[in-house]
Order: sequence, then C-alpha cells, then structure tokens
Amino acid sequence: MAKIGVFVCHCGENIAAKVDCTKLVAAMESHPGVAIAHEYKYFCSEPGQESIKKAVTGHGLTGVIVAACSPRMHEATFRTACAEAGLNPYLCEIANIREQCSWVHSDGEQATRKAIEITRSLVEKVKRNNELQPIEVPVTRRALVIGGGIAGIQAALDIANAGGDVVLVEREASLGGHMAQLSETFPTLDCSQCIMTPRMVEAARHPKIRLLTYSEIEKVEGFIGNFNVTVRQKARYVDMNLCTGCGECIIKCPAKKISGEFDCGLANRTAIYTPFAQAVPNKPVIDSGHCIYFKNGKCKACQRVCPTGAINFDMEDELVELEIGAIVVATGFQVQNTALYGEYGYGRYPDVLTGLQFERLASASGPTGGKIQRPSDGKEPETIVFIQCAGSRDPSKGIPYCSKICCMYTAKHAMLYHHKNHDGNSRIFYMDIRAAGKGYDEFTRRAIEEDGAGYVRGRVSKLWQENGKLMVRGADTLLGRPVEVAADMVVLATAMVPQSDSKELGKTLGIGYDEYGFFNEAHLKLRPVETATAGIFLAGACQSPKDIPDSVAQASACASKVLALFSREKLEREPVIAQNNEATCSGCWGCVLACPYNAIEKKDLTDRAGNLIRRVASVNAGLCQGCGTCVTFCRSNSIDLAGFTEKQIFAEVMGL
Amino acid sequence: MSIQEQYRSRAKELLREGTVKMVIGYGAGTTPLRRRPIFITSPDDADRLVLDAACRTNLAGYLLREGLLADQKSVAVFLTPDGVRTINILAAESQLATEQVIVLGFQIDGENARQLEGTRVADFSGIIAERKKKRKEQPSHEVARKLEQMTSVERFSFWEGEFSRCIKCYACRAACPMCWCRRCVVDNNQPQWVNTSSHTLGNLEWNLVRAFHLAGRCVECGNCSEACPVNIPLHLLNRRMTEEVLTAFDYYPGADEHQEPVLASFRKDDPETFIL
Ligand SMILES: Cc1cc2nc3c(=O)[nH]c(=O)nc-3n(C[C@H](O)[C@H](O)[C@H](O)COP(=O)(O)OP(=O)(O)OC[C@H]3O[C@@H](n4cnc5c(N)ncnc54)[C@H](O)[C@@H]3O)c2cc1C
Ligand code: SF4
Ligand code: SF4
Ligand code: SF4
Repeated sequence: MAKIGVFVCHCGENIAAKVDCTKLVAAMESHPGVAIAHEYKYFCSEPGQESIKKAVTGHGLTGVIVAACSPRMHEATFRTACAEAGLNPYLCEIANIREQCSWVHSDGEQATRKAIEITRSLVEKVKRNNELQPIEVPVTRRALVIGGGIAGIQAALDIANAGGDVVLVEREASLGGHMAQLSETFPTLDCSQCIMTPRMVEAARHPKIRLLTYSEIEKVEGFIGNFNVTVRQKARYVDMNLCTGCGECIIKCPAKKISGEFDCGLANRTAIYTPFAQAVPNKPVIDSGHCIYFKNGKCKACQRVCPTGAINFDMEDELVELEIGAIVVATGFQVQNTALYGEYGYGRYPDVLTGLQFERLASASGPTGGKIQRPSDGKEPETIVFIQCAGSRDPSKGIPYCSKICCMYTAKHAMLYHHKNHDGNSRIFYMDIRAAGKGYDEFTRRAIEEDGAGYVRGRVSKLWQENGKLMVRGADTLLGRPVEVAADMVVLATAMVPQSDSKELGKTLGIGYDEYGFFNEAHLKLRPVETATAGIFLAGACQSPKDIPDSVAQASACASKVLALFSREKLEREPVIAQNNEATCSGCWGCVLACPYNAIEKKDLTDRAGNLIRRVASVNAGLCQGCGTCVTFCRSNSIDLAGFTEKQIFAEVMGL
Repeated sequence: MSIQEQYRSRAKELLREGTVKMVIGYGAGTTPLRRRPIFITSPDDADRLVLDAACRTNLAGYLLREGLLADQKSVAVFLTPDGVRTINILAAESQLATEQVIVLGFQIDGENARQLEGTRVADFSGIIAERKKKRKEQPSHEVARKLEQMTSVERFSFWEGEFSRCIKCYACRAACPMCWCRRCVVDNNQPQWVNTSSHTLGNLEWNLVRAFHLAGRCVECGNCSEACPVNIPLHLLNRRMTEEVLTAFDYYPGADEHQEPVLASFRKDDPETFIL
C-alpha cells in the first residue's frame, strides 16, 4: 500500500499569499494513498528538512511530494533529505506550485484549485515511481578549448598549469585572435602584442597543451566527462615538421596582391603567408583559393625555393578524433560589417575606417609601422572624426545592445593619435561615455583633459567628400545646434557582433545562443560561465561583448570549473535513462537516428542455436542522457524512460 | 501482346528460373471492378494474374508478412511508382532489403495499365523524382481545397464528424503498408493511451495518432480510404501531412532507400519556424 507524505511549503509569502495552503493540505489528506500532509513556512530550511525526515521514518512513507518551488531550485535538497531518512531519492517528487502557480496567477481561489491539481497529479505519479540507483561514469581529464584568442589561451594555460591535458583548436593559421591585431590597450596603454605574444608562445610550448591551428570542429558527440570530438585539420600544404619558418617561399610567391585579413585590408599578402610576424606557429600556409598553382596548375615557385622540401600540394584535410572531458568555447567576436551604414561612406571613401583598421594603423607592427596615415594618399590627417555607436544601440539596424568596448577604445584612439601627432585635432561623436571599470573613467578623463579629445554629444547624419576632405555633419545635442567638421579621416566604432557562423557551432555543440548568435550561459547571474549543456563552458566575447580583462577573468573562471570536474574520479549521473522492450521493438532504428547521443545500439536476438531471429534496439546506459527523444519517436511505444515511464506520466495526466 | 500477357509471361519466367520464390500480384475479384491480391508460387498459376485499370491496391505491405523474406530469397511484386516508394520507405526503416524485391512496375493511365521499365527499386528513381516535382505543383484536390478554406474550428468539427463514424475496426491499419509495428500503440494497455471504445474522443485519438505516425511516410496510395468500411476520407488527412513535410523540409517520402525518416533526423538547415 502506498503511504505518501505531502509537504506543502509556503515559501514565506511567495506561495501562501496566493494559494490557500491549508485547503491544499486538507485536499491531499483525503486523497487515496496519502498518509500525511503538512504545511510549513520554509521546508527548505534546516527544521523543514528535519520534519520531512522524521515523517519518512515515523510513518514509513513510501513516497514524498514536496509542493514548493521549481524542481530546478530544491529537488536535490529534498531528495537528499529523503535519502538521509532511508528513502530512495527517486521516490521524492516536487510539485511546482510557485513558478507554475502562485507566481503566475492573480486569482487566489483558482490558484488554489490548480495547486491541488498539480499536487494530486504528482501523488499519482509517485505511487508508480520505482527505486533507482545513480549511474557512475568516468571522467576523461582532457579539455578542449575552441578558439585561440586571449580567452582561449588563458583558459588553456590555466587548465594545463594545473595538470590537465588541453587540446587548443584555432581555426586561423595562428593563435592570437583580435588581441594580436590591437595596438596599445586600454586602460593602461600597454602594447598588445608585447603582453600577448608571451602567452601565445607559452601555450604553444606547453607540454600539456596540444595545439591544432588551422582546424575546426567537425563533430561533437557524447556528454560531460565523455565527449568524442572530431576536429578537421585543414590542409596547410606546408609540412609543419619540415618547415623551419625561414620565409623564402613568401618572398618568392608571385601572387602578391591579396588583401590581408590581419591588416584588415590595409596591406596585401601573398598566397603562401604567415598571418603576421609574431604568428604562433610561425610557419606559413598556402591559401588555396588564391594560389596560382591551385588555380591553373602552374607555378610551384614556393616549392622550388623551399630549402627543406616542406611544401606538399597533395596534402589533404585530416580528421583528428579526440576523447574529451570538458569543452571551453572561446570563439570570440567579429566587428560588424559596416555596409549597414551607407550614410557613413565606409567602403566608398578609402579614408573612412573601422576601429580595428585604426588599430592596425596605430600598431608598430602594422602596415605603416605605427604612423597614422591616410590610406588614400599616405598623408598624416590633421583632423580625425571618430563616430561611436556605429551600429551598436541602434534597434533600427538590428543591434540594440551596447558593444561595451567602443567608448574605451575610441578614447584610446584619440589618445594614440594625439601622442603621435601633437597638433592633431580629434572630434568624437558619442551618445554617452560608458566607462565603468577599474581605471576606465580616469582613462577617458585623461583623453579629454590631457590629450585634447574633443567630444561632441550627438549623432552623425551625413558624410560626404568635398575638396579632398571628408565632410561630417551631425548634431551637437548639448548645444542644440548642427555641427559640420571637415575631416581627413573618419573612424567608425563598429559594433561587436558574434562570429558569423556561431549559430552553426552552437548547433554542433548543442548549446544555446541568443537572437544575435552570442552563446547563452546557464544563468546570467549565478552561472555565467556554464552553458545549459553540462561540461561545456563559455569564455570571452563569444558570450557577449567583452574587453580583455573581462575575457581573461571569465577564461580563468572556466578553467576552475573544468578543474573542479577533473578533480573527480567518477561522475554520478541521474539514472533517468531509456530502456527498450525487446518483445515489441520492430527494429526500425528510428530511435537510433533520433538519439542525439548515439546511445542506442542494434542488438541481435538469436535462438538457442545462435541463429538470428530479429534485431532490436538496445540502450547503452553509459551514453544515454535521458532526454527522451527516442521515447517520443518510437511509434510502438517500445522505449520507456526510467523515472518518467509511460505509466507514471499517464497516471500524472489522469490525476489532473 | 497485351500488357497483361507480357507480365504473365515475365512472372512465369521469374518463377521457372527460380529468380523469385513468389509473385505477389492481382487476381480476379468478386466483381469486374475489384481485384484481389494473389500469391503465386508455381509458374503454372501465373495465368491467374490480372493487370488492368482496376489494380489499385498497393501490394508492397504483403512483403512484410512474418517470415516471408527470412530465407533471403526474392519475391516479385506488382507495383505502381507509389508502391516502389513504399519499398524504399520499408527499406529505409529496416523492414526489408531491396535486394530481395523484384519490381513488376506499372502505372494506370485513365483506362489502361502501362508498363514501366525497370526491375529493381533503384531503376525507378527518375520516375519518383518526376512525381515529386509534380506533387509540388499539383493543385489541391477539390475536397482538400474546401478543407483548407475552412477555419480551424470548422475543420476540426468536419473531422470530428467524420471520425465519429469510425468503428475502430482497424482495417485502415491492416491495409496500410506503413503500419508494420509488431505492437501497435493502440494495443498497448499499460497504459492505455488510446481509448479502445468507439466514442468520439477515442476515435479522435486513434485517427490522429495514426496520422502523426504517417507524417513523412505516407505515399498516398489510398489503401486506407479504400479499406475503411464507413468511408472516412482518411487519405485527405495524410495528404495534408505530406504537403506540410514537402514544403517545410522538401521531403518526399520514399525518394530512395537511404532516405532518413524526416521526423527522426535532424539537419542543421532544418527550418525552425516553430520555435518562438
Ligand atoms: C577595435 C578594437 C579595439 C580594442 N581595444 C581593446 C583594448 O584596448 N583593451 C581591451 O581590453 N580590449 C580591447 N578590445 C577588445 C578585445 O579585442 C576583446 O576583448 C578580446 O579580443 C576578446 O578575446 P576573445 O578571445 O574572446 O576573442 P577573439 O580575440 O575574437 O578570439 C577568438 C578566436 O577564436 C577563433 N575562432 C573563432 N571561431 C572559431 C571556430 N569555430 N573554431 C576555432 N576557432 C575559432 C578566432 O579565429 C580567434 O582566434 C578591442 C576590440 C576592438 C574591436
Ligand atoms: S523506434 Fe521503437 S520500434 Fe523502432 S527500433 Fe527503436 S525501439 Fe524499436
Ligand atoms: S533517452 Fe533515448 S534518445 Fe535520449 S539519450 Fe537516451 S537513448 Fe538517446
Ligand atoms: S478503417 Fe475506418 S472505421 Fe476502421 S479503424 Fe480505420 S478509420 Fe476507423
């Protein structure tokens, strides 16, 4: 006979203010199978839990219902309490009468009626619950870090330095990401490459880090502690073992007029190239899209000149299979394509640049050796107009969010310009100056007070070319009048947007993303580095616009999460897994295909002589994540989910 | 030689050579307009085969009779292009191997049966691709169009009315080549999701469950409507599902034997219009 205990929690006022808990208790007391029903102000409190435990032992309960908040909050709490009292934890269920009832209804009487229904349906379910034992799975102590920008490098180093194995996958030919492109960095103005390259080199040399550059994620299977990942290592056409990085090939390559990505189109590169001088690894790749040999079968100049015979045109992509315990996603961001703002003339006027292009101009390793010069004629600009929020905070263009870094780097740009050209005149059109951060407001003040940054509060409406000048017309909203500036160069602080293929990657990994394509965290405040998929974490600007300090902090947070996972011998998993009824399975393999975790195998049913009778589906308990996809697919209802069996769900529904 | 004669002699030949152990075809029925399936195992019986415009039943489902294909021997079947699609689906769902099937292909054009070239299901891929193209352009059936124009409430009450006549005889299930489950969900009484008695709710449950189970699988052969003793236009429901799957996923059931079931497979470019 079922002896169910029902514990109705007031959650302070949260539930009791709407739901008549006494009435709920009375309704439950008279329900068949319910041995006792109690109410209390906070069952999650110490005395609350104690009273449940006492009831379990005192009444010999066979099942427990806690009618309270969402199971996401306290299911674990109450199940542990039951286990401590000797009741199998899977005989305890939570009836959610807060999020699904008291919080969302205004009419108390109806809310009470609904609470009774919800609780009663759970009572019916728990009567049919079985004892379940948790499943133990091993943990592979190897992390995969996707993206070799500052965030990825930091996470990889932190994990590796604590003894974990790391595979760092970067899709470009070199580590570095955006930080390698920057000149000097706010708020301290240290040279970006000087602080970045040691990290890159350390990551490449680290005995615990396996570096896979020019590589992308092909496939991800499995689950926390036990992912199987396939990485596609794209053909470099240069044998990394033979190449010494001497660069002879680059000098000889006749395909020279290719717009260089690293310099944002401000300089050209060859078809065989290293992205930049400090690249790690510092060995070239052949861009087969532009290589003359790949285009028309003739050339091979690089092969002839290579002293070690490292060039191999027959090289093919390679697939690398990896066993991985945890994944850190650090794929960063992209600067927004400025085509959106026709009125700012980007692409039409050569001296209208993006912030990132300005970084390359200001960088000592850049195409001008750090001199600020106009791309059109090489002249030093006498006046530069900076336009902030060129894309950000503009819902009409589809980006309502703030890119967070542009206020700061624009102040930095004005400063760098002033340091390099003391007579230069900078005008910054802005909406607000957002400089929250350690040393940030001081930094923008310094730009204004010491480096002559001329801030104009207002938007630019029009930009055109006249007598060799870029005419910028806007509004000064503080003075309430239109302004017109004749500039020699215009720099747009374009929005930070997700990588254009981030949604694809999100689907490959099985993690969520927002409407723009930034990856979603499990909880914005309390679980900002985890994703909703266990074992996959987020670092850096792939989650939301971030500057370097934020990216690095989050990367280290990721590393600590990964290391916490690696510190465990075994993981305990919920025993909520699928089980197949072999008698009724028709072997259609729909479930095999539908299972996102490849947890279903084909099993031969044989007679005593070993002759095959039929083949049926069989669930691998180690791989099954209990998602229930197969259950919904199987037309004959052959597959069932432990803990959520058809019988239990049916009883639950009929209890309503 | 008439087409019927040609096919009779082909059937005879296949049986005599031992290429197949059985020919599944049409024989004379109770009236001149009815044909019934016959199962020929001896060359001498091949003359009982009939092929004319009355041969409308999709015979593919008979291949799944328990044990028929277990000895790995081949069977020849009279099939229209939709019948061939059925074989593709059954193969894709691992219910048979196409190597064991010899197709005696034909098509009904108005009053006549016409021969179709090919012996293996793969030989018909061109015809099937053609049908898919046509299916996309096909103007809706008259009743279907009427249904489309109804509001959802009207449509629901239309079907409620139709289904209220259902007597739960399960003839539609028996006639449908796609209904091959070892245990149908309605026969599962632990728990009894679908009510067995023939009242409105139970009938709705049954007929809608069947429609869902056929989404992306139905070849529109019409066996179900033909079989229904109370003339419920079941094919209209399945037709609608076919259109949904065709427009949403560009999926035409039975295009080839390796086609993944649309509802069990996931592609990154699947439309996600249903996610709000
Ligand atoms: C103009 C400008 C100026 C800036 N100035 C400053 C400054 O002065 N101070 C400051 O603190 N911040 C500054 N920032 C911000 C800084 O660039 C970012 O905070 C930082 O680069 C974020 O690091 P990340 O590793 O998250 O991303 P990224 O630097 O974008 O690195 C991501 C890496 O992942 C790789 N990747 C992407 N997708 C994949 C994939 N699918 N598979 C494998 N690899 C992949 C990319 O190739 C890249 O190497 C500036 C930004 C801009 C645009
Ligand atoms: S979906 Fe159902 S019938 Fe098909 S193989 Fe899986 S368990 Fe068996
Ligand atoms: S519940 Fe079914 S579909 Fe989900 S992981 Fe387990 S076996 Fe796969
Ligand atoms: S054949 Fe017709 S009456 Fe019989 S179960 Fe199917 S729909 Fe109902």
